[in-house]
Amino acid sequence: MKRTATPKLGAYAALTGIGLVTALVLGRPELVALAAPFAVVLLFGLSLERTPRVDAVFDLLGTERALQGETVEAELELRSDRDAGHVQVLVDLPNGLVAESPNPQLLRLEANVRRTVELAIHCRDWGAHLPGDFVLREQDAFGLLVHETAIERRQPLKVYPRAEELRRLLRPVETRAFAGTQVPRARGEGIEFADLRPFVPGDRIRRINWRATARRGEPWVTETHPDRNSDVVIFLDTFLEARSEDEGTLDRAVGAAASLVEHYLGEKDRVGFVAFGGVTNWLTASSGIVQVYRILDSLLDAEIFMSYAWKDIDLIPVRALPPHALVIALSPLLDERAVRSLLDLRARGYDLTVIEVSPVPFASPGRSELDRLAYRLWLLRREALRSRYLRLGVPVVEWRDDVSLQVALEEVRRFKRHARVARV
Amino acid sequence: MLAIAAAGLLWLCLGLVTRWSAALATGVVFLGAEQAVRLAAGPGTVDAWTPAYAACLLFSTELAWWSVEPRVASWWEPAVVIWRFAAIAGMCAAAAVVAALVVLAAGAPLGGGIGLELVGVAAAFAALAVVAGLARVRVG
Repeated sequence: MKRTATPKLGAYAALTGIGLVTALVLGRPELVALAAPFAVVLLFGLSLERTPRVDAVFDLLGTERALQGETVEAELELRSDRDAGHVQVLVDLPNGLVAESPNPQLLRLEANVRRTVELAIHCRDWGAHLPGDFVLREQDAFGLLVHETAIERRQPLKVYPRAEELRRLLRPVETRAFAGTQVPRARGEGIEFADLRPFVPGDRIRRINWRATARRGEPWVTETHPDRNSDVVIFLDTFLEARSEDEGTLDRAVGAAASLVEHYLGEKDRVGFVAFGGVTNWLTASSGIVQVYRILDSLLDAEIFMSYAWKDIDLIPVRALPPHALVIALSPLLDERAVRSLLDLRARGYDLTVIEVSPVPFASPGRSELDRLAYRLWLLRREALRSRYLRLGVPVVEWRDDVSLQVALEEVRRFKRHARVARV
Repeated sequence: MLAIAAAGLLWLCLGLVTRWSAALATGVVFLGAEQAVRLAAGPGTVDAWTPAYAACLLFSTELAWWSVEPRVASWWEPAVVIWRFAAIAGMCAAAAVVAALVVLAAGAPLGGGIGLELVGVAAAFAALAVVAGLARVRVG
């Protein structure tokens, strides 16, 4: 607890002194009468001042998780051991959370009576936050002293990035043998029509297409595609990011990753996650609602951790990158280590897609001619890098902030439809 | 006298507009000085209106300080406003009583002299010393 004097205390002391001295100099007792009230305020204020003891309980009302953009209700319960008529409550929220209710608030605490302050907290940014820091500023009845108490009643609040609505996802080249919602190129037991062919011994009678049979005069059967699932790995580049004040490429990449994870897991695919950067994290591919939360929790831990150590794809365990998995890389393509690791993945035969979270909107061309020239060279270099990926058969799409993720995915789909597997 | 009063009001207005407490204090000093000049220029008898003036001076000073305090949301909370008004009213009433006691004491038929003068000086400095000591102990 910190106790400080207000400017009023100094001013009243000065007024008292000036009044008394002037009364002595002029020999007028009325001036003592003028100064006396200020002296009385000082004497009473300082004599009667007692430090309050305030107990505080912070409650997020059972909310542990929220989506980005949501508002969470919380309560702060205060109790003072004596009357406090002028208490300011400042909610000191961490970055990314914004108080929607008035902040700071002014209230009165009666002795030993619980007072509840209702708070509305807007979850502006995703992340694992710890709200619950408060500053209580209690001013005494005479306004001479201020007691400032910092209270820490932190409670975890996970704010998940809001998933974008996606209509169509990228399909991997290879599927797994287990049932899912994807239609592979192979034929087998399923419901999706593939082709018609003449009946051969061993075909099941229920497969006979009676209309085709009637037209051709011999038995024909319907072939179908089986319904399979696939492995998808979300590869998040956390080496570097381009950032403005309130948004960065990592924020957009995490949002996109959350959208992709939710949609792929919703289609019964197995989804894994690799955060590759200064600190490397991974989650092996799995399916189900638990995996959604596992990956979302890992996404909350994703941050840029500066490191100059050279890292390559060998750091990642083999189990984290299942064979034939579709690897969707979300990267600003700013760090050479991430660029090379992605090329390495492609060389190892992975079905790789690069969604380049464009850092261009975060960089300004500069004012001088030299700056503008450097900016143009940087753009050309990025263009050359994209061409390099394309030559290797890696669909790479520049995802700018003015288009939705679905648009970027459609560009990749268009590429993949015509692409052939390249051997490098 | 009018010029001093005007200067006092000007300083008060400046303090209120710029939320500068030193300007408020200067304004109050000017208003007190105006009263001092009035008393010095007037008759030698004790002014019976001084307690009222003292209470009004304290009242206006308290309101001025309340005005320049940092604005905080929820000023609408009635309990806080009522509590603050009650505190100020109580202080002003007490100030009027104290000022009246001082005026009554000043009117007592006591013989003057260097001894009583010295007692007055000592009392004034003792009062200041008590205030300074309390402030030091309380603020830390």
